[in-house]
Amino acid sequence: MLDIIIAELLLAILITFFVGKKLAAIIAFFISLLPLVALLDWASMYGFKFISFGIEKSMNIAISGITLHLAITPLSWFFGIMIFSLFPAIMLFSYSFYDKNDGFYPFMLLALFSSFGILLARDMLTLFLFWEMMSWSSFILIYRNKDKEATIIYLVFSTLSAFLIIFGILLLYSQNNSLLFSEINLTPNLETVVAIISMISGFAVKAALMPLHVWAPVVYSKSDEPFVAFLAGGLSKLGYYGMFLFMFSLPGAKIMEEYFSHISPNYILAVIGALSAFIATIIAFMQDDIRKLLAYSSIGQLGYIAVGLGIGSQLAITGALFQAFNHAFFKAVLFLAAGAVAYRTGKWKISELGGVAYKMPITFTIALLSIFTLAAIPITSGFAAKWLLYEAAIKAKYIFVAPIMLIAGVGAFLYSFRILYGVFLGGNNHPDIKEAPKSMLAAMFVLVLPMIIFVIFPGYALDMMSRALSDAGIASIPHTVFTIKTSLASYNAIAVLITLIAALIPAFLIYKSKPHRIVDFKDNYLAGEIPSKYENISMHAAHNFYKPVEDVMKPYFEPGTIEYYKGIYKGLAILSNTLRKVYTGFTQDYAIYVAIFLLTVMGWLIWL
Amino acid sequence: MVIDLIIKIAILTGYAIAGTAIGLLFMGIGRKIVARVHNRVGPPFYQNFIDVAKLLSKKTNISHGWIFDLALLFSISGILLTLLFLPIGGVKLLSMDGDAFLVLYLLAIPSLGFALGAGASGNPNAGIGVMRALVMLLSYELPFVITLIALMIYYDTTSIAGIVESQHSQWAIFIPPFLLASAVADMALQGMLMEQPFDIPIAPHEIASGPMVEFGGKYLGSLMIYKAISIVVETTFFVDLFFGGGVIAHGKFSGIVNFISWLVLIFIFFTLALLINTAFPRFRIEQAFKFYWKYETILATISLIWVYWMVIT
Amino acid sequence: MVVHAVLLIAIPLLSAFLIPLIRKISKWFTISILTLNSIFSILVLFEVYNKGMIYEIIAFSPPVGIYLAIDNLSALLALIINVFGAINFVSTLKEKSFKFHMLYLLAIAGSTGIVITGDIFNMFVFFEITAVASYALVASKKSEKAVEGAIKYMILGSLGSTFILMGIALIYSQMKSLNIYDIANRISMMNENIKWISFAFLLTGIGVEAELFPLNGWVPDVYEGASSGIASLLSFGPSKAAIYAIARLLIVIFPSMHTYEIALWIGVATLLMGEIAAFMQTDAKRMLAYSSIGQMGLILIAFSLVSQGIRYSIPASFFLIVSHASAKSSLFLLSHKNKMGSALTKYGGITAVLSLIGMPPLAGFWGKWYLFLGAASEKLWLVIILIFFSGIIEAAYFARYLHRSIGEEKMEASYAYPMAVLSTFSLAFGLLPFIYKMANMHLLGGV
Repeated sequence: MLDIIIAELLLAILITFFVGKKLAAIIAFFISLLPLVALLDWASMYGFKFISFGIEKSMNIAISGITLHLAITPLSWFFGIMIFSLFPAIMLFSYSFYDKNDGFYPFMLLALFSSFGILLARDMLTLFLFWEMMSWSSFILIYRNKDKEATIIYLVFSTLSAFLIIFGILLLYSQNNSLLFSEINLTPNLETVVAIISMISGFAVKAALMPLHVWAPVVYSKSDEPFVAFLAGGLSKLGYYGMFLFMFSLPGAKIMEEYFSHISPNYILAVIGALSAFIATIIAFMQDDIRKLLAYSSIGQLGYIAVGLGIGSQLAITGALFQAFNHAFFKAVLFLAAGAVAYRTGKWKISELGGVAYKMPITFTIALLSIFTLAAIPITSGFAAKWLLYEAAIKAKYIFVAPIMLIAGVGAFLYSFRILYGVFLGGNNHPDIKEAPKSMLAAMFVLVLPMIIFVIFPGYALDMMSRALSDAGIASIPHTVFTIKTSLASYNAIAVLITLIAALIPAFLIYKSKPHRIVDFKDNYLAGEIPSKYENISMHAAHNFYKPVEDVMKPYFEPGTIEYYKGIYKGLAILSNTLRKVYTGFTQDYAIYVAIFLLTVMGWLIWL
Repeated sequence: MVIDLIIKIAILTGYAIAGTAIGLLFMGIGRKIVARVHNRVGPPFYQNFIDVAKLLSKKTNISHGWIFDLALLFSISGILLTLLFLPIGGVKLLSMDGDAFLVLYLLAIPSLGFALGAGASGNPNAGIGVMRALVMLLSYELPFVITLIALMIYYDTTSIAGIVESQHSQWAIFIPPFLLASAVADMALQGMLMEQPFDIPIAPHEIASGPMVEFGGKYLGSLMIYKAISIVVETTFFVDLFFGGGVIAHGKFSGIVNFISWLVLIFIFFTLALLINTAFPRFRIEQAFKFYWKYETILATISLIWVYWMVIT
Repeated sequence: MVVHAVLLIAIPLLSAFLIPLIRKISKWFTISILTLNSIFSILVLFEVYNKGMIYEIIAFSPPVGIYLAIDNLSALLALIINVFGAINFVSTLKEKSFKFHMLYLLAIAGSTGIVITGDIFNMFVFFEITAVASYALVASKKSEKAVEGAIKYMILGSLGSTFILMGIALIYSQMKSLNIYDIANRISMMNENIKWISFAFLLTGIGVEAELFPLNGWVPDVYEGASSGIASLLSFGPSKAAIYAIARLLIVIFPSMHTYEIALWIGVATLLMGEIAAFMQTDAKRMLAYSSIGQMGLILIAFSLVSQGIRYSIPASFFLIVSHASAKSSLFLLSHKNKMGSALTKYGGITAVLSLIGMPPLAGFWGKWYLFLGAASEKLWLVIILIFFSGIIEAAYFARYLHRSIGEEKMEASYAYPMAVLSTFSLAFGLLPFIYKMANMHLLGGV
């Protein structure tokens, strides 16, 4: 069965190259359900029984000499659920987003195929092979948009990531003489530790962890939304999947702690994660381009996962997985919502948008729910995830990490409101637009569902995760369907929900006590009439929204990280231009080189 | 079982009503105090009850659509919710079902509803006001969470009820690093209460009361209730953290004694905030921001490191 | 044996000299000869695949004769040279001159000869044939730059040839033999110093053709000046043949730790020099030329890992050669217009670039993968890091190149189709299962 799924995926990739846009979207949609079907079938190992086709749980593809080992594990099942749920929704969304088939569907399916491969990989060659395939399929999706900076920066950082990963693989391989995960024994020595660190940094590139994040804002803001929804929601999770695999499924984290007696890289990872969350959040609320804002927000939210992995306790890892799970959905929804808004208005700048909520109420409601999750408003699953991480940081007494994480959480309110106010509320700049097309709404709605479900039942999410964690030998934290308990405190989602509903009663009574009249946007108190001359003046105060705090903060964030990379680029350019002068263009010089070369080789060999 | 539940609901309702009443009363007394400092007579102490009643019974209510209405719904419900998750005078209420982080985030619900309504009104002043409020939030939260984390690490719990319980023998304020921390947290409280010099978000003379510029009638009335309860919530949060929730007595009548001591304490800190309010002009937003992120944060960090050192040795 | 491997050389060589007699139909004649030769080369490849190494002696009278030794790599290279030569010829269909066709056939015959001969003097002769044909082919564009490039190429090439001859003379003086395997068996009898001196002469001489640093001064000018079709021919023909000749030299005749080490560091220097120089190059053809230099360095590194990483060294070079030959020739054809207007050119260009950067499942990925495994088994971490470094630079300039190639302008079909087909080779060689087996055969003179 598994081979049939793989074959069908490959076939669909070929077919979607050649068919028209609508047919391609439909094929892509149905094909992208396949991995999800497989995952649901495999859910039996979690004790759930949905469907049963008996798809085999492991498979080896042998191509003379090289064997690709594929198998499903609880951990990859968990990551698979969040990544592959995105694809059908994205395909659905793209149905009305694109007006021609110019390579989106085949490469998106290829990205799906390679993500499937990454999650099923049981040896390092397979992992790396599919990792690279995903890199280049997403590269081509970026390249489609013809932006120079995004093209270069993505390919360069993908290559960097690939090399860091393969360096780790090679080090582990030279130690164990095997590429199979099951045959790798980590021992606390320098080479292993370097391998683990190198691999973590390689995966961190894709996970957009600072300071390796610089590609993310550029690429996110220069690509199509459906694809960015995958980049932010799915691809970054694959980065964390890789980290998780080498830190906990293989006990890399423990090895590092054993090897370094004082400050282990785990702690540094936690600090980097927290700083990443904090700095990215600050930069996020200074952005005026909604895609850049969401990109930095993504970097920030993903930073929390790194904190979780860095702390490495049972609480922290659970929190990290939970955060990853939430992030996959809410960030995908937000990017899709941004795409839907842009589809109708054609604008990206927050200060130019405004008042969209009244024309696109469903889009707004869906975006609002995901923003609640993003900002970790209690009773959303976003809160449960961050709460676990905070608890973990306090329990581990990470006095540097904890406050930074918390303040980053507050910062999230700031950019959340910038989106809400700038795009959806405020002045009515778009009186003529319509609600987003139905397929887009359906796509966003599907993705927002898990957030609604896990609002009241954080326990279900934890049940799912406990199996994923058992893979790494980590016990699940005590929980019921509604409550989570830690040694420090407990959190009862249902108590909060019921009290909130109860508290809504007096509010609702006041609301209903007197009738009210709904008036137009412009009918408001502005300390005087607007002179008729300025009748069409924009009342949207979203331009330079956080100017005061920006003025204070900006000097500390300049030059941006990207400037350092540009510095390296410039240095290389100088090196290149200098070294190129060796090729003088004069044949005499070249003849002299030949003579020198001959003598050097001769001298070297004879001298030795 | 059912009776327990009914009793619990009754207690919670009682505290909710009491909180509202106390808040409104404090606002009235506050106006009187400010007036006396200004050498005015001032309104009677029950003036705010009259105001709320008047606003809620107004016939003309103007709304800007359903998002605008969220302000009314979420500001009252959110702040009541927060109130019930705090231990009051040693009574735990719902505080075992959540912890300090939950309270921090619960406080965001009413503000977010409020902000949504303000944004939906389409008045630029409202948008600017919310922006200022959020920047203030970012400003005072940093020193505040640092002190909070110092407490959590010291008492090894994140639950407020736990922190209150741990202070039965000795209030945190009597431990040297927490004296420092409480000074920091008190300044954060000043910002939370939006009293001068930190009343930037609502600055009436600059942005026409900011977020609530478009609110009138039942909307403004509900905001007033929200403000009243939030005074109680914020001061209680502070008292819970540093003064053991005002718990001084154990045993018979301890409930009433503790309730009164809690009431006195929150009144003291509210009055303190008011006195500072009357004595200072308004900061500009970046001044406030720098104040919190520079001096306050440094002091808070010192207390945190001090506590950390005490804990690990 | 169905086909005598010697026909691979004999047919094009003889027909090249026939061409002046049949000037009118020289184009169609050349096409048919190239096609025939491609079929032969495929047959030879299968022969090697099934039966292993082929030795063939065509003796006229004992000292004069042709001794052929075909292993998996040389069979592959013969295939590349002939099949790619035939495909690439499509792009030069506009050339009407019979001289051009003659030279083209000579270049093919010479390059094929270099890879399948087992005799160093024959190797030298084929070098000369290839080189002379290449000089003239480069100059055939008749532009100022082309002629300048051709002259530089000629001067350095002749210098190289002289050195090759000197090296051969030194070996012959000691061993009284020209057969590679004969020499290899008795190499220990050779005077140590003369052995090294002859190695240095041979390495320098062949290195000029194999684009090694610092012997590659001619490379940028020649590739820039030559027409796209010829640049493409040079990238898969003579240079690949020459790097293979170095491999034979290194692995068969002079296997020693020192020579491997020298080859390794020359490879690293060539790689870094090529990639860094390409980094800021704005002219597409020059950039591709520098990139070629870098790739040649990579191939040489692969060969030099043969002492410990023999399991990986040969497959690595195998895939790197395939990847580079197909991708670079395709890109040189693309450089004719440098705009990827049609879907076909987009496919060709992107596939080629991805293969060069080393993306799976293209041939370039397997090349780099085996190269890394080989280097790791020798624990050459520094070399690995330097390869990473150059790989990142490569990614940067190829991304820039891809971005520059965006455009609506369409190329002529005579360029678009060959380039797409050439790129397909790096895809096909990365995917076809039997290639792995082929790559894993460790023949190369029974190493």
